[in-house]
Amino acid sequence: QVSVINTVDTSHEDMIHDAQMDYYGTRLATCSSDRSVKIFDVRNGGQILIADLRGHEGPVWQVAWAHPMYGNILASCSYDRKVIIWKEENGTWEKTYEYTGHDSSVNSVCWAPHDYGLILACGSSDGAISLLSYTGDGQWEVKKISNAHTIGCNAVSWAPAVVPGSLIEQPSGQKPNYIKRFASGGCDNLVKIWKEEEAQWKEEQKLEAHSDWVRDVAWAPSIGLPTSTIASCSQDGRVFIWTCDDASGNSWSPKLLHKFNDVVWHVSWSITANILAVSGGDNKVTLWKESVDGLWACISDVNKGQGGVSAVTEGQQNEQ
Amino acid sequence: TPLTDTVPPQVVPGADPSARQLCFAWGPAEVLVCETLFGRAGGSRSRCLSRSPSPSRFWGEGRAGAAAPVLTGSVAGTGEGAPSSSCVFVVRRDQDIYIQTLRKLFNESHGIFMGLQRSEEELAGKSRKAQLVQVSKNYRSVIRACMEDMHQAAVSTRDPALQGQYSTQVSILSAMELIWNLCEILFVEAATAGPLLLRLLDWVRLHVCDVDSMVREVLSSESPSKHKLFWNVVDVFVLQGRMDEARHLLSKEASANPTSMNMYKILDDLMKKMPVPSLGNIQTLTELELKWQHWHEECQRYLQDGTFASNPHMESICKILLGDEDAILEKKELMTTWYHFLVTRLLYSHPTVKPMELRFYAQSSMDLFLGGESSPEPLDMILMAAFEFEMHQVIKECSIVLSNWWFVAHLTDLLDHCKLLQSHNLYFGSNMREFLLLEYASGLFSHHSLWQLGVDYFDHCPQYGRVYLELHIERIPLSTEQKALKVLRICEQRQMHEQVRSICKIMAMKALRNNRLGSALSWSIRAKDAAFATLISDRFLKDYCERGCFSDLDLIDNLGPSMLLSDRLTFLGKYREFHRLYGEKRFPEAARLLLTLMTAHIAPCSFWMTLLTDALPLLEQKEVIFSAEQTYELMRCLEDLTAGNPDKQKFQDDDVETTKVEMLRLALARNLARVIVKEGTVEGS
Repeated sequence: QVSVINTVDTSHEDMIHDAQMDYYGTRLATCSSDRSVKIFDVRNGGQILIADLRGHEGPVWQVAWAHPMYGNILASCSYDRKVIIWKEENGTWEKTYEYTGHDSSVNSVCWAPHDYGLILACGSSDGAISLLSYTGDGQWEVKKISNAHTIGCNAVSWAPAVVPGSLIEQPSGQKPNYIKRFASGGCDNLVKIWKEEEAQWKEEQKLEAHSDWVRDVAWAPSIGLPTSTIASCSQDGRVFIWTCDDASGNSWSPKLLHKFNDVVWHVSWSITANILAVSGGDNKVTLWKESVDGLWACISDVNKGQGGVSAVTEGQQNEQ
Repeated sequence: TPLTDTVPPQVVPGADPSARQLCFAWGPAEVLVCETLFGRAGGSRSRCLSRSPSPSRFWGEGRAGAAAPVLTGSVAGTGEGAPSSSCVFVVRRDQDIYIQTLRKLFNESHGIFMGLQRSEEELAGKSRKAQLVQVSKNYRSVIRACMEDMHQAAVSTRDPALQGQYSTQVSILSAMELIWNLCEILFVEAATAGPLLLRLLDWVRLHVCDVDSMVREVLSSESPSKHKLFWNVVDVFVLQGRMDEARHLLSKEASANPTSMNMYKILDDLMKKMPVPSLGNIQTLTELELKWQHWHEECQRYLQDGTFASNPHMESICKILLGDEDAILEKKELMTTWYHFLVTRLLYSHPTVKPMELRFYAQSSMDLFLGGESSPEPLDMILMAAFEFEMHQVIKECSIVLSNWWFVAHLTDLLDHCKLLQSHNLYFGSNMREFLLLEYASGLFSHHSLWQLGVDYFDHCPQYGRVYLELHIERIPLSTEQKALKVLRICEQRQMHEQVRSICKIMAMKALRNNRLGSALSWSIRAKDAAFATLISDRFLKDYCERGCFSDLDLIDNLGPSMLLSDRLTFLGKYREFHRLYGEKRFPEAARLLLTLMTAHIAPCSFWMTLLTDALPLLEQKEVIFSAEQTYELMRCLEDLTAGNPDKQKFQDDDVETTKVEMLRLALARNLARVIVKEGTVEGS
């Protein structure tokens, strides 16, 4: 039973490409082909337009909210090859940084876990991935991974911050040694995992299973287990769940969630990583959950269409 | 856990599935959905977008084309027709937590839940069981109280839509209580043969209420025996095993119709003598069975003798007493449900039924009652699963049918405490109880005040409770300082240091944005965030330089050991202390502190000029304050400052600066002169 609790009329003049809630679910950011980024206050079922941000010269593909400890910060990326970072200062939203280092459309932006600082990963159709790090005083440092994916990079997603080794409380003020990782998906049909080593980004893993362009990747939030999980979806209609059991991140094995009849564009994890939302073919969104013996079950369809139900049987629950 | 929804498809209003796709994103507690058209972003095969409305057709063309993609400048501007909707829908799975009248349910059941978790298992055997049964009864009474409230709300509202909602809620709650009650009898109390029947009779009497108004009507009429529904009511009593009430009504009929006195006396006698199980162990089951057999034969004899032939009503009652299925089924309308039929059957044909035998009678009762006319509803299936002692099935079916996790979470928890659930390892290694509690508690977190209940539930999920709490508690909007403090306290109590730090940082940032420096500083101290503390201290100092005074003096004065968090903060604290000492005219101490600030490098170099300027009044005092050694130190500091300044040119050009430096040099020299004389002439003081 899914119920609509709020309908926000964005008044975008063209197709909406992304809508994202902020950390607390109090604000909504949307972006559109009409080149604008809009921010709404959606508390208590309301919808108040807070900002209408102009600055892009082409359709805006994605928006991403940074962690609130850095203030109210939103990143947007667009066909116009730009990445713009917007910030709220004294109650008004303004452009705080603009990155124009890509040669074609920037398709995806994703903020790193707040533990790493304020870092934004951007994937572009020019095949490169850029990492913008805030160094203080309005300055941003850029690192670029050229030719990350041939033809283009469609999606980037960060791994959750996990302190390697001991779980002992670090003395205050001392930064633990995080191993930063993120995943990317591209037009070379690959999912790649990147790791930062000695201030350089290196390709750590190449995950091959798709037979067509990878359109989205999503790294699942951590619930304290040593396993890591990534979901990837592709033009080939398949959604794979990749898991890596050991902490060193060496052996990833894919499991096919489902083969859809059409392109799968988007996958996304709920905050406790127990539900995966997939934009299936047939214009619907399906929700999936892992069941007892590791098979994935479709638990709900928003706009249910034909087909697309998992193989898990109802008897699963009672086996004992 | 397979949770395939049997609910009909949901359609987001306004979204046209044939022409558009759904773009979605997770919020902390909801899903955003809006219409879009994927494929525009990213590596488009062809930058020229076709006019076709269907995306799959679009891609088909691109691929079939095979030719090199055409990269043109024009792209997605206005796409294939205007989007039919510029709306973003915020969608949630269960909204029940927002129903005001259910609030009591959530709050009070939370109390019962906590009591149950804390109850030690020192008690064993019967006492423990009695304790658990009491807990179960408590839950049920909360459900009933809620039902009452909901019913009141339904009755008192004028809005038909609301009324409909409330009424629906009432029937849902009623069904929940029905199921829970049965589970209590079968699982928690685990009633054995004998008492089992009595409990089931109570259960039926409590829950089949459709006939209540008819009963009231007849009883309150002037001469009930003349009421057209009189015999219906007698039948109801008999079917529910309410012998005394049945006999009482029959006596009225007998006095009104003396001709049937004989028949009445016999029937009355039979009803009086009917052997029933008792709660105390007065007789064994075998004894009961014997007596019952004897009684059954007696009824049989009277029936066959045609004793009741002239009165069809009484005859039918006798047949019911004999457990004649057809006779009982004739009264279908009065029983209204198959489980009522089941219990009546058992009462009159197998009063000593054993728990494990229930399943057979249940299945046949349902079949006979529904008779192929209607098919079982979800509620029926749940009850059936209970009669079959398939606990997992009960829980699963309830999960599917009910719109929120409240029921299954609490019931499963109780059953788990009864040690009835085998550890059923799910994917993430936790058991079903924990799984359901996690789901329920997660749902609570999207509510602005119920989230606090959720914290307790997570606490009692040993495997994943903590990490779920960590993930959820960070998402609570910290709209007020009080709320932030509340959340903090919860995190601190559980040593959730990461979350504490994160929340403090967020609050510090918020305060800073609103120019509340004092608040920002105290939050960053709490967060043990040295970098932020430094930043804020700098702001304070900058403010001081601009305005000549400090804001938030109280805070700075009472920093205490937290001053050591960052060097800049330490300096701020000490600098303020200097001002205080000066204000209290404790000049020698102030002087010493001032000097230490520079020599111990607590003060940042950028501030030295200000400090030295602060020293001026001390140097100009009538009394000599700085000793010779101190004066030399000061001079050295000044020289370090001016010599080490890379922008010497600028420095020298700046009139104000050079004047200051000169004044300082002069003052220092003068002081030196005075102090040398003073120290030279001091007589041992």
